[in-house]
Amino acid sequence: MSDDSAQRRYPRFSLSDRLEHWVQVVVFTGLAITGLVQTWSESWFPKVIITGLGGINSTRFIHRSLAVAALIATAYHLGTAGYRFFVKRTGHHMLPGFNDVRAAMRSVSFNLNLRPDPPHQGKFTFAEKAEYWSIIWGTVLMAVTGLMMWNPIATTEILPGELIPAAKAAHGGEAILAVLAILVWHMYFVYVQPFNRSMFTGYLTEEEMYEEHRLELEAIRSGERTITIPPETLRRRRRIFFPVYGAIVILAAASVLLFLSYQEGAITTVTPPPSGSEVYTPYAPATVPPSADAAPPTVEP
Amino acid sequence: MVNRTVRNLLIFAAVLLALGVGSTCRASAQVAVEWDNATCLECHSEPGFSTELPSGEDLDLTIDEDQWNRSIHAEWNMKCVFCHTEITAIPHDSPSFDNSREYAIRKSEACIVCHREQEVIEDSVHAQAREDGNDQAAVCSDCHDPHYTTDPPISHTAIPETCRSCHAEIYDQYTESVHGSALTEGNPDVPTCTDCHGVHEIAGPSRGTFHLFSPEICASCHADEELMGKYGIKTDVFSTYVADFHGRTITLFQEITPDQATNAPVCISCHGVHDIQSADEAGSTVAKENLLTTCQNCHPNADAAFPEAWMSHYSASPAEWPIVYYVRLFYRIVIPVVIGGMLIYITIDVTGRRRRRKAVQSV
Repeated sequence: MSDDSAQRRYPRFSLSDRLEHWVQVVVFTGLAITGLVQTWSESWFPKVIITGLGGINSTRFIHRSLAVAALIATAYHLGTAGYRFFVKRTGHHMLPGFNDVRAAMRSVSFNLNLRPDPPHQGKFTFAEKAEYWSIIWGTVLMAVTGLMMWNPIATTEILPGELIPAAKAAHGGEAILAVLAILVWHMYFVYVQPFNRSMFTGYLTEEEMYEEHRLELEAIRSGERTITIPPETLRRRRRIFFPVYGAIVILAAASVLLFLSYQEGAITTVTPPPSGSEVYTPYAPATVPPSADAAPPTVEP
Repeated sequence: MVNRTVRNLLIFAAVLLALGVGSTCRASAQVAVEWDNATCLECHSEPGFSTELPSGEDLDLTIDEDQWNRSIHAEWNMKCVFCHTEITAIPHDSPSFDNSREYAIRKSEACIVCHREQEVIEDSVHAQAREDGNDQAAVCSDCHDPHYTTDPPISHTAIPETCRSCHAEIYDQYTESVHGSALTEGNPDVPTCTDCHGVHEIAGPSRGTFHLFSPEICASCHADEELMGKYGIKTDVFSTYVADFHGRTITLFQEITPDQATNAPVCISCHGVHDIQSADEAGSTVAKENLLTTCQNCHPNADAAFPEAWMSHYSASPAEWPIVYYVRLFYRIVIPVVIGGMLIYITIDVTGRRRRRKAVQSV
C-alpha cells in the first residue's frame, strides 16, 4: 500500500449518525449515573451524587427525563435505520449472519496463531454487530422494564404483580451488564485497539478499511457500492416509508403517553399517618382525674 | 479597692454556686419560714378537706399521709413549702388562681427548680400546644402526681394508663392492638406510648421528621434478633423494607433531605399505628385479603394484582417470588459470563497483536 492510498478516506458515519451517537453517549451516561446510584444508594458515593442531584425525587425525575430522551433518540434511530433499510436498501450491512460467528472464531484462531490470516469482514465487523444488537436488545428491555416500574398501577392491570420487582431486578442487572459491556468491549475496540476516529471525523482511512473491513473495501473498489437509485423509485419508496414511519412513531408515542398517564400511580399529597382518631379525648371515669393538685386552703385561726 | 471587693464577692459567689450545685433544689426552695410537714398535715390530712375556687370548682386539698410517706419526695425529706413557696404564714390565704388547671400549669414551675433536665423543651408537642393557647396540654403534674410519685416515676405497664387521661380514644385502640393487649397481660417486651413517642421531648407524630424516622423506632425492636426470637417473629422486616422502593426512598430522604416532606410509606402507614395487629391476624391491615385496600390508601387506582408488586418483606427465593429470584440469578450468571468472555477475547486479541508486532520488528 502506498502512502498516497493510505491518505484516501472512506465515509463511514454521516453527520446525522455522529450526532445520534453523541446524543446517545450523553443520554446513556446520564441514565447510567442516575440509575446506578439508585441501585447502590446505600453506599456513600452514590449518596454523594444523589445529594448533588438534589435528593432522590429529583434524581428519579432526571432519570425519567433522560429515559424520555432515550426513547426519542431510539425513535430517531428507527427512522434513520428504516430509511437505510427500506428506502436506500443499504441497511442489510448490520444484519447478523453465520459469517459473523465464523469471523469471530477465525479472529480468535488468527490471534492464537492457528491461522495465517485474519477474517475478512464487511462494512461492520462481528464485534460491531454484536454491540449494535446488544444495544438494541438492551434498549428494548430497559424501556419495557423501566416503563413497567414507572406506572406499576397500569402494568398490574394486565400483568401479574410479581413482574414489577422482577422488572426492577432485570432493569438493574441489564444496566450493570450494559455499562460493563460498554466499558470493556466498546472502549477496547474503539480506543485501545488502533484508535478509531470515524465517530469524530466521519471517515476511515484506506488502511483502516483494509485492516477491518476488507470485504467492504473490495466492494467499494469494484463499484458494487456505487449504485444509484432512480429518482422515481426513491420517491415512491419515500412516499410509503415516511407515512408508515410517522404513523408508527405517533402510535408508539401515544401508547407510551397513555400508559404513563393511564391512571394515577400514587397520591402526591403528603398525608399524615392513618391514625384516624382524635388526639385529645379526655378519659372521663367516675372519679376526678389526678390533675387536681392539692392547694393550700385558708385555715381558720 | 472597689474592684477587688467586687472580685472577691464574685469568687465567693462562684464557690457558693459550685458547692451548692448538689443542693440547688433545697437551697433555692428554702424560704423565710420553714415549717415541717406535720404542721401542714395537721389540716391537709383531714379527709374531705377542700376549697371552692373562683371558677366554682371544688378542689380536693387532702393529702394521704401514708402514700405521701412512701413517695420519692418524702424519701428525699422534701418539705411542702419547698414547692408551695407562696405559703409564708399560717393561716394562709387561697392563692390567686381562678381554676385548678391554671394552678397546675403555674405550679409546674416549682418542679423545674429541681427537675431542670426534664423541663419540657420547646420541641415537645405539649409545650407547643400550650404555647398555641391549649390549656389542656399536659404539664408535669398531669402525669406525675407530685405528692405520691415514686421511683421509677411511672412503671412501664402504667404508662398507657397515664396517657389515657387525655388520649382515651387512642388508649382504647392501643389496648386492642397486638402490643397493648400483650402489655395488659403483663408482657414487658411490648412498646408502650413513650417507647415510640418519647417522654418529655415528645414530638408531634404528624410532623414530617416523626414520619420519616419512624421505621427506626419499629426496627429498634423488630430488628432485634434476641427479642424477636422469643416470639418467632422474623427480623429482616426492616432490611427488606429498606431494600424495596418505599424503604429506599425513606432512607434517602432521612440521609439527604430530612427537612423535606415525603409521602413514601413507613411501617405504620400499612400496619396501622395504635390499632396495629399481628400481620397473621385476619383483621390486620396487611392480611392478604385487606392488602389491596391498604395499598389503595396511596394508590387509589390499584387493581387486584397490584399488591403482589410488593414483596411482603420477603427476599426472593425459589419458593417466594421465584420470578424475581430467577431474574437475579440470570444476571448473576450472565454478567460474569458475558464480561468474562469479552475479557478473554480481548486478552487473546492483545496477545495476538503483540506477537505480530514483534514478528514485524524482528524481520
